[in-house]
Amino acid sequence: MKYLAPLLIVAAGTLSAAEPAQHIDVGKLPQQATVVEDVIVPVPSEIFGVLDKLGTPNWHEVLRSVKGEPPGPRAETALLLGSVIAEGFVAVEAQESEEVKKIGRSVLNLSKAIGVEKAVVARSKAIIEFADKKDWQRVRRELDGALADVKQAMSELHDEELAQLVSLGGWLRGTEALTQVVKRNYTKDSAELLHQPSLLDYFDRRLKGMNPRLQSDPVVGKTQKRLPEIRPLIGEANSVISSKSVDQINEITADLVKSINSRE
Amino acid sequence: MALLQGRCGATIDDALSFALEAADPYVKEGFTVREDYWGGDLPVKQQKAIVHQLFKGNEYWFWMGTDVDNAKISVHIYDADGNLAEVEHWQKAHMAAARIMPKSTGSYYLIVEIEKSSEERTHWALAYGFR
Repeated sequence: MKYLAPLLIVAAGTLSAAEPAQHIDVGKLPQQATVVEDVIVPVPSEIFGVLDKLGTPNWHEVLRSVKGEPPGPRAETALLLGSVIAEGFVAVEAQESEEVKKIGRSVLNLSKAIGVEKAVVARSKAIIEFADKKDWQRVRRELDGALADVKQAMSELHDEELAQLVSLGGWLRGTEALTQVVKRNYTKDSAELLHQPSLLDYFDRRLKGMNPRLQSDPVVGKTQKRLPEIRPLIGEANSVISSKSVDQINEITADLVKSINSRE
Repeated sequence: MALLQGRCGATIDDALSFALEAADPYVKEGFTVREDYWGGDLPVKQQKAIVHQLFKGNEYWFWMGTDVDNAKISVHIYDADGNLAEVEHWQKAHMAAARIMPKSTGSYYLIVEIEKSSEERTHWALAYGFR
């Protein structure tokens, strides 16, 4: 079990016991928010599920062949692992069973490189098995599970920071894929999926608080530098994320994903 | 006080089993239950807030459980402006739940509370599902 972070403590008396208050003073929360280091990071299925409802993008154009060889430094392997798992969701959307199977094997290979292979053996097999059967819902569930299992195993090894890099790698590739889809057929509703301020702030805080040894990794360092560029582009609550902002987010995330994938 | 996340543990596992029992009927309605869960222990009347990114277009149920027999617990969902955002909620023995269909994509606050309990600190667990 992993201790994550202190929680917000809601100001006393803001809610009654029986019926919930119609409004809480969020303004009183940020005082505690400075000590909040965690938010619930959604699983990719939550985002891809919404995309399913918005239409049928050409996922084949978004899908990329994955790199299954570990790049060497553990921090970069963790980022790559997250990115490869995210690619699995794109492959599921494209219904490319061979690519999904290849991704299942890559997940195992990369997990082995960072010492958490045991945690994902069963998931990897299940991904391949269900891809063979073209049971896409199950493949999605196994990919979500693989992500959770890898992070859990890393936490048990006291490698929380690497676990965060797995999450970040997945978020970056997932966001890049999302912007690719949104920019091809821009609508306000689809662009709104990019409104994820708490997640961006969370990743930013995590990177800043990371061990200097990890921060000195060139890919981690580049990510730390470029991630804050996205924050002003995703808008405030109820504001529209413009087509131009989508393009810019795409450029930043694509650049970072390329760096994650290009190290030998 | 810490928030715990994971898939093992003693009393929180018992609390989780109630949360998952609460989830069971909704799985049959097509909700996918996330395998992670969150939990901890709280004294009576102290609330906690968990920040969560939710997506417009999805429907979410949050299920809270406790292993303390006579406890009354609650979970409620507020938007980034602090407005109650859930479309329904319920409380039963060992369980509470809230449902939301987000009107916009963004950050939401999940407020959990032990309203009544015979224990000094009451273990709780929170799970959620989406469709």
